[in-house]
Amino acid sequence: MKSFEQLTDSVFYIMAALTEPRHGYAVMSLIEETTKGDFIIGPASLYTILKKLLEQEFIILYDDSDTRRKVYVLTEKGRSVLQRDIERRKVMILLAEKGLEKGEIG
Amino acid sequence: MRQEKYMMSGGLAFSEEKDLQKLRKQSLKGWHVKRFAFMGYKLERGKPEDVIYSIDFRPMEESEQGEYFELFASTGWARICSEHGFHLFKADKDTQPIYSESETTIEKISRMEKPVLAITSMMVPISIVLCILFNLSNGMIETISRWAFTGAISIVIPLIMTSLAIVYQKWKVRKKRTLSL
Repeated sequence: MKSFEQLTDSVFYIMAALTEPRHGYAVMSLIEETTKGDFIIGPASLYTILKKLLEQEFIILYDDSDTRRKVYVLTEKGRSVLQRDIERRKVMILLAEKGLEKGEIG
Repeated sequence: MRQEKYMMSGGLAFSEEKDLQKLRKQSLKGWHVKRFAFMGYKLERGKPEDVIYSIDFRPMEESEQGEYFELFASTGWARICSEHGFHLFKADKDTQPIYSESETTIEKISRMEKPVLAITSMMVPISIVLCILFNLSNGMIETISRWAFTGAISIVIPLIMTSLAIVYQKWKVRKKRTLSL
């Protein structure tokens, strides 16, 4: 399985939600609410990504007392990977914002 | 009146999408899929329902199933049945798809591809060896290897077709991703 070089939007959102301990459904709801329904993650996609994040040790199982609602949280490794991707995304946004400001037509 | 009927599958590697559409049409007519059957599905009579179906492939431990099915249930996908790592789900018409993006969709296809490619890559060399054997040998060995080759080839051909179908599915998702720019 491929590891994460650049985080996809889905992975980024999920990791962002797991900066605090949350179970899968709470992750989905938070993302849906925050984006006002613009970004929705399907259960199969979420499950696949959670498994991959665990494998990469970007998240750990925080609480499995409820086996149907396991709670996960970012590890130190996960936090630094997320931080790196924030920087990457900032560069993109800055470039676009600056360009739009300067390049107004007419 | 009959309460149960059988619907044939086009083969999940070849026509998952078509199968799911057919199941949806059956549900609109009041026939609901209840379980997997040999090369198909068992349907039961009920009231017409406007529902959609999805299939995921994920072999897993029983201890993992609780969380997995709970995630689906909380987004509106009720599990109908599971077999050999395939899980069939049902939801109301407007429910969001179980895979929301291409990366994880491709990973699903890769999970299906793995065992098929493993068996194919084992069976192809066996068939070749048997083919050479019955062409070079004579008498008893020729007869046996000829039969063995016939048996092997009747497994290898569907295996190769399935492998190709899976590779094609993957290519289709990749192409859609490139086009969605």
